[in-house]
Amino acid sequence: MRVPPKYTQVLAVTLLGGATLLTLVVLVFIIVFVLTKGLPTVSASFLFTVPRDMGRAGGILPTLIGTVLLPLLALVIALPLGVGTAVYLTEYTRATRVTRMLSFGADCLAGIPSIIFGLFGFIFFVVMLHMGWCLLAGGLTLAIMILPTIIRTSEEAIRAVPNAYREVSFSLGATRWETVLKVVLPNALPGIVTGIMLGIARCIGETAAVIFTAGSSLRMPTSVFDSVRTMSVHFYILAREGISNENAYGTAAVLIISVLAVNLVAYGLMHRFISRRTR
Amino acid sequence: MSDRAVKVALRGFSVFHGKEQALRSLTMSIPANRILGIIGPSGSGKTTFLRALNRLNDLSPDIRAEGQALLDGEDIYHPDYDVVRLRKRVGMLFALPVALPLSIYENVVYGPRLSGVRDRKRLVELVESSLKAAFLWDEVKDRLQTSGMRLSGGQQQRLCLARVLAMEELEMILLDEPCSGLDPISTAKIEEALTLLKARYTIVLVTNNTKQAARVADDTAFFLMGDLIEYGPTQHLFTVPQHSRTSDYVTGRFG
Repeated sequence: MRVPPKYTQVLAVTLLGGATLLTLVVLVFIIVFVLTKGLPTVSASFLFTVPRDMGRAGGILPTLIGTVLLPLLALVIALPLGVGTAVYLTEYTRATRVTRMLSFGADCLAGIPSIIFGLFGFIFFVVMLHMGWCLLAGGLTLAIMILPTIIRTSEEAIRAVPNAYREVSFSLGATRWETVLKVVLPNALPGIVTGIMLGIARCIGETAAVIFTAGSSLRMPTSVFDSVRTMSVHFYILAREGISNENAYGTAAVLIISVLAVNLVAYGLMHRFISRRTR
Repeated sequence: MSDRAVKVALRGFSVFHGKEQALRSLTMSIPANRILGIIGPSGSGKTTFLRALNRLNDLSPDIRAEGQALLDGEDIYHPDYDVVRLRKRVGMLFALPVALPLSIYENVVYGPRLSGVRDRKRLVELVESSLKAAFLWDEVKDRLQTSGMRLSGGQQQRLCLARVLAMEELEMILLDEPCSGLDPISTAKIEEALTLLKARYTIVLVTNNTKQAARVADDTAFFLMGDLIEYGPTQHLFTVPQHSRTSDYVTGRFG
């Protein structure tokens, strides 16, 4: 027996709409839950004072700084390497078995659990290179962790730039490098920024790999050779060891708001950049 | 045509797409300051021919050229030949107008900037003169900072022409069916521009529209399956073609 299209249509809309609604509800619930439990704790002094008594009292300033510095350092290392690799693979080499293997390898690396990167970073940077738990070891480890994501998203973004743009650029006497700089990268930028945002989000949310490589010191870092604690790690430790639930939720609320803010700023900047070129 | 200055001379020039031969041992010369029309059915090698003249075929790794192609007596396929400089001297207009996602102004100064023109006054002059020569100035002079992508197809193609004309090294213009997607008025404007531009440049126009060749080309070459079948003054080719295949094509009996 065949169901009349009229009913399948209604059914499809109901199911698809329901799936969307459910996703939204879960998302909103999590955010509202964390914010209602956390926001009462958040105040200027919570944000801008140092923690006391293992985080039971006081603020979260060092972890706030750690959360800015660690992903920033990882990005500073991973971005040029990742985008450079992507440009090389797409613009300077032909698609051969080697480049396909590299892309496949990057895909596999992107899926490896972060704890593996954490262990590697611990053994290689912290122990073998005698760095100890520090910002630098953590930044390097996170850079390796997000590198595959940045390479792959940049690669896709660069491949999506219409070939006609390249032909026009070459036909006007541009070299390959000039074409990359003036045509390919500007038009691939939205995709590349997506990769960057994914990378930053992974770094901000990371705990295992950070504890293994950057440690969890609550002191204010003064150099890249100091151990730092990020907000995610702080939240984990406060909650896991039952130090302070209020402060844990407060940290989580700040974490959510800052991730939201970073995304909004990036989105806004990108929107302005694109509309300047097409309006 | 022997008394005219020769801009490009091809000697036994062939192009291969992988194992397939797209152009078969051409020997011909392109006279300076005239419009050469290239006609022929699709797959006859017209575009390959055009893209061989500014070595844009180099971008496709499986395309390879043989024989000699001399521009002002210099072999453009010589290993030491500066291909970047070649493309500044031999500009190209594509079948699909492609405005880069930049402002109208930035589109036009793309070439000059690459050649190191930094002086703002000079760039502004170039923009105005090129847009005027492409018959686009009056339509865009008040909105040079808006994106070139906002223009209509016909306007975009004239923007592309202006972008080519802005190159100060330009000596020759290659056009690959530049009017195939355009309305009659835009087409007329491009054709008018070309007839004025041949005083300064050598022009090669590939067209699927034999009437367009008859209208604007001084000389016409008929290609078929990678062979140059017939080449001569346009009037001869259209009125007293020497080959039956040429007359069949120009009278519309095939192709």
